[in-house]
Amino acid sequence: MPYTLTRAEEAVSADARYPLGRSQRVEDDPLRQQVHRSVFTGKLEEVLNSAVNWGRKNSLWPYNFGLSCCYVEMTTAFTAPHDIARFGAEVIRASPRQADFMVIAGTCFIKMAPVIQQLYDQMLEPKWVISMGSCANSGGMYDIYSVVQGVDKFLPVDVYVPGCPPRPEAFLQGLQLLQDSIQEERRPLSWVVGDQGVYRAEMPSQRERHRDRRIQATELRSPDRL
Amino acid sequence: MSDAIPTTAPSASDDPLVGALRQRFGDHALVEQPTLTGLPVLWVARESLVDMLRFLRDMPEPFEMLYDLSAIDERLRTHRRDLPAADFTVFYHVLSVSRNRDLMLKVALQEDDLALPSVVSLYPNANWYEREVWDMFGIDFVGHPHLTRILMPPTWQGHPLRKDHGARATEFDPFTLTVEGQDVEQRALQFKPEEWGMRRERAGAEFMFLNLGPNHPSAHGAFRLVLQLDGEEIIDCVPDIGYHHRGAEKMGERQSWHSYIPYTDRVDYTGGVMNNFPYILAVEKLAGIEVTERAKTIRVMLAELFRITSHLLFLGTYLQDLGAMTPVFFTFTDRQKAYEVIEGITGFRMHPAWYRIGGTAMDLPKGWERVVQGFLDWMPRRLREYERAMMDNAIVLERTRHIAAFNTDEALRWGVTGPNLRATGCNFDLRKQRPYGGYENFDFEVPLGRHGDVFDRGQLRIEEMRQSLKIIQQCVDHMPAGDYKADHPLTTPPPRERMLQHIETLITHFLQVSWGPVLEPGESLAMIEATKGINSYYLTSDGNTMSYRTRIRTPSFPHLQQIPAVMRGGFVPDLIAHLGSIDFVMADVDR
Repeated sequence: MPYTLTRAEEAVSADARYPLGRSQRVEDDPLRQQVHRSVFTGKLEEVLNSAVNWGRKNSLWPYNFGLSCCYVEMTTAFTAPHDIARFGAEVIRASPRQADFMVIAGTCFIKMAPVIQQLYDQMLEPKWVISMGSCANSGGMYDIYSVVQGVDKFLPVDVYVPGCPPRPEAFLQGLQLLQDSIQEERRPLSWVVGDQGVYRAEMPSQRERHRDRRIQATELRSPDRL
Repeated sequence: MSDAIPTTAPSASDDPLVGALRQRFGDHALVEQPTLTGLPVLWVARESLVDMLRFLRDMPEPFEMLYDLSAIDERLRTHRRDLPAADFTVFYHVLSVSRNRDLMLKVALQEDDLALPSVVSLYPNANWYEREVWDMFGIDFVGHPHLTRILMPPTWQGHPLRKDHGARATEFDPFTLTVEGQDVEQRALQFKPEEWGMRRERAGAEFMFLNLGPNHPSAHGAFRLVLQLDGEEIIDCVPDIGYHHRGAEKMGERQSWHSYIPYTDRVDYTGGVMNNFPYILAVEKLAGIEVTERAKTIRVMLAELFRITSHLLFLGTYLQDLGAMTPVFFTFTDRQKAYEVIEGITGFRMHPAWYRIGGTAMDLPKGWERVVQGFLDWMPRRLREYERAMMDNAIVLERTRHIAAFNTDEALRWGVTGPNLRATGCNFDLRKQRPYGGYENFDFEVPLGRHGDVFDRGQLRIEEMRQSLKIIQQCVDHMPAGDYKADHPLTTPPPRERMLQHIETLITHFLQVSWGPVLEPGESLAMIEATKGINSYYLTSDGNTMSYRTRIRTPSFPHLQQIPAVMRGGFVPDLIAHLGSIDFVMADVDR
């Protein structure tokens, strides 16, 4: 599986653009290098990595952050009928310092962008971003002077959830995709072992994965009856 | 059912109100403009504006409320028959609850002299409206206490609603944020008490300035409020909005009449099709379409379903803001039931955009009565439970009774409408006072409060849900047969079955779907009782496939402006209770 490496940067110049961090594609799993060096430490690291990742992905604490319509559907996913607790992500935090991931649920406004950046910076590593809804993904139907055309213009996004707004189920699927990607991640296990970069797995595109099945559908239900 | 309504409104000259203005200010002071707005529209000179507004505000059965204030950039408008020469027009829409009528005053301005006297001393809620006009059009209001940007960032250049300002983000350079730019923007957002005439200390004791928002769990979205505190007591506060400005009004100037409908859904985003209602009514006035009884009843049914989902969201978050954790789980379960009905009928949950010019998107599906009836049978027991568990709860009563209370006079002075106005005991519900879109056919009551406090605002909405259920029940029992689309050439999209008959209808269909219908030049306005108060669309057509100017008056904007007047002298927990009881969403404030 190909990986993207993000190194921690120490000095940041004033004219550096967000998202910070120089990304560099890595073709292979960094653990393989360990395996070639010593089978035992390689195996040990693999076991450790997957144990830590398993813990991380099943206790994701979301940051209570909402911008617009999508936030209502995100909240709906938190309540009884959809029950996000099934996926271990029900502990909403009101402070970014306690949260693991941030859902950009709604339109990203030019006036709001510096605020979002500040809140993101206040979150502690490891941290992830889900972009929920068309506005956050690309600006959506709001190609207008006050809207940033996609939050990925300044934040690194892990999962994009399409929809305007996406259904709560779609958000839950996005959360599960984030969990899948966390399972494959390679992060520093300690400040003394290995290099300190973050290796993010390049997850397969859902559109390509499901294309064959989707084009099989030729008959759609008529809207004339319930 | 295609009876065209008259294309010009009856002349305002025989109106006693206009007569009284003429008598007081002279014949030459007024120029009447015939419109489809349904209210007298009078052009007045800049010099007499303040006197005229004072006369209206102080007359017997006065115009208590400045309902709306905004502007139009007239420079590119081609159809201006017999109107005074103007580069920009500022309009003042005043409303009288006692007379149950409205009046609009317009002032013409030239490009080299864009200034007007401020009317903040007459109507305190003019403050934010004038700031918005300054922000969007660059028109100066002489004597305004603090004329600064309100919707756009403080560092913004230009005035977006001017015709020479770009509309699309993709017309500008792509957005980038640098480390330095981040610092500059954050510094610009810093609150400086001196700018707002606030002192930093009193009698040797320093005030604390607390920044609440733009992201705070109790702020219901991107809303910021800066509090000046002496201990727990709020000395003063300054609401800061504009973190949710999506340019909905500018968007109206580039979308066709038809393709603008989905944008209306997202203005009050908990209100769904309720937002389509005033827009569609205003467009139908311009087009001269009279819709069928069936279409009217379907629209009312869907609008009331959305009133219930919006009030349920309100109820859950209102109680959560007071510290009750579980009700939100119950109300969202009810919302899910409502969405099953809405999704079954319209195919979408939050933003169905289901109304069409001349009717609705489709007919009701087979078997709709059963699902709607299921919801109607489910709800009453739940509402009783909410009342028993929460509204009779001693803690809730203690937190809400006589908290953040205001009376009818104060409410009208600040432009408060909807349930928040009725909680003060004022019986003003447009569905009764000025029935629109078929509401005259329904039997329901208008619940009223007595004290205008946080409790009444909550209790009243539970009652309103009961009345909405009653209206929906009548829709189920008496759904008229017939067509769901009006038989009119401007109905969009036109009936499909006729499209395939001959070339003429095929061409019409093609043009109406691709370019959209062309509406006659004119101005129209439609007001409705939306979920949060009175929502209206004031449309100006220049004889084109899209609107020349779309003014959206939303209820939440004045509701937030009133917060400092209500909260001065209150405590921080009371402010949170008040924020929960207003029922606002930021898209309804900033548009």
